[in-house]
Amino acid sequence: MTIWQRLSGLLTLRLSAVLTLIALALMVWSMLEPTPLPVMLAMTVGQGIGILAFGIYIFIVVRELLRELRRARPRDPS
Amino acid sequence: MVSWIISNPLIAAAIACAAAAAVLLVWYLVRRPALNHATKLVLLAGIGVLPLATAMTGNVAGYEATKARQFCGACHVMTPYKTDSENPRSTALAARHADYGMFGTITTKLGGLRHVYEYTFHYRNMSLAEAREKIHILRPFQNATCMHCHSTEGPSWNAIKEHASLLDRVRGGEVSCASEGCHGPAHPFSKPAPAPHQDHAP
Repeated sequence: MTIWQRLSGLLTLRLSAVLTLIALALMVWSMLEPTPLPVMLAMTVGQGIGILAFGIYIFIVVRELLRELRRARPRDPS
Repeated sequence: MVSWIISNPLIAAAIACAAAAAVLLVWYLVRRPALNHATKLVLLAGIGVLPLATAMTGNVAGYEATKARQFCGACHVMTPYKTDSENPRSTALAARHADYGMFGTITTKLGGLRHVYEYTFHYRNMSLAEAREKIHILRPFQNATCMHCHSTEGPSWNAIKEHASLLDRVRGGEVSCASEGCHGPAHPFSKPAPAPHQDHAP
């Protein structure tokens, strides 16, 4: 079993949700205090974390979908 | 604060999207529902659609913020330059120091990234008096920047005898428009001007 298969979907999605909250906090901070540090952090670290979180979500959902398709496929009688 | 957010529709939209996403994500983290289709759709909105909308509107709002003088003036070493640029009676050339052209704003912002880097790692704790002494312009002021508007071909420009006599040397960059005796440095309050007839490398 690979590390990808071992990753629990629910746990990883929780991590993704927490990362998204951090990214959103950085983005909102840059809008409430538009000075160089918050704006640059939001446009680099904030968006990077957001993309990572969305990537995790896509990965988990696609993996679940593939599992469902595999389960639904009729078994070979031989 | 609230009136400022409401008066800026982009920021209001971005914050509304962020708040909606945060509500969905906190609900997911607290309630821990099973990963069925409905939960996946909620998470698609909370992790994908709404944060993307926040990022896009936030990018535009952030980019607009970088055009404001207050943004540059947020770093203390920029205070005299900000004050000078806000003074309508200032004779400094600072107002013309951004590069022009179709991508002028973009190239200026890219150059600004270096300013942020230098400030963060070198000048953050420097006093203003020390900063005036130690911070220097990276490259000499380019005549080409002036010549985007002052083409050196107009009759009123050539009617000035100093312009006419130095025409070729100004066009060739041998004599800087920002020389002492000509128009002076872009920020005359902070730096001595380069000597006239100084050879300016590109």
